Amino acid sequence: MRIISQLMAIPGVIAAGEYAYRGDRYSFEGNITNELARMASILCRSNTLAVNMQAEIFSAFSENCGCKPVQGWIVHGKMMSVCVVGNFFCFCQNTPGLLNDVMTILRAKVGDIEENPLVYMYAKLGGDVNEKLY
Amino acid sequence: MSLDQLMQVPGALAAFQYNDKGDLQAHRVNEGSELTPQVLDLLAHTCVANIAIATMEARGWEALTGQTGFEPVQGFSLVGLDWSAVVGRNHGVVVKNRDVDYEAAFAALANC
Repeated sequence: MRIISQLMAIPGVIAAGEYAYRGDRYSFEGNITNELARMASILCRSNTLAVNMQAEIFSAFSENCGCKPVQGWIVHGKMMSVCVVGNFFCFCQNTPGLLNDVMTILRAKVGDIEENPLVYMYAKLGGDVNEKLY
Repeated sequence: MSLDQLMQVPGALAAFQYNDKGDLQAHRVNEGSELTPQVLDLLAHTCVANIAIATMEARGWEALTGQTGFEPVQGFSLVGLDWSAVVGRNHGVVVKNRDVDYEAAFAALANC
């Protein structure tokens, strides 16, 4: 299943999309118009470029500071959040558990989580997760 | 909530407090962490700048689309390779990505 479709399957996700680092190509699903998806893509791309530039500056102060390369960013609003990892964005409501689930899926698909996201999520409960799950 | 309490957030490597300009006021760093006061000060400045930009974007987005719920921006997180910086109004916490719980971090910062 595509990442965007996976995200959209989670209750509380308003819209999700993918943008190109260069150029103006994008794709999306959700409750926004094509024009708004285009704007969201531009907004997310420019913010991603900004945080990458900031990480470059951090590394000038501390070479192995652990921030580079940046995976993404989150804006946490009053009732909505915008999550970006790599070149994927997701607009979601601030319902309990949703932000962590969205970030786990994004990091598993385009970020740093290498194992199965289910294992990662359940690992926080402790114990032998693989034994319990499989 | 104090910096010592912020250090209780799961996976916390550092907690810091900064003023409205982004200058570092106080900090706590876990032993063994490579984060220096200099990096935390820079991090605080970038987070203040990013929250200002996010507020501008949220306000514009709400006006253009009619969608609500983005404003006021409660916090911002920069997700790095090994850690994530999660910041609220004048406090922030750096959390190991392996153990990160973004919601717990934002909730803790909301009580600062």
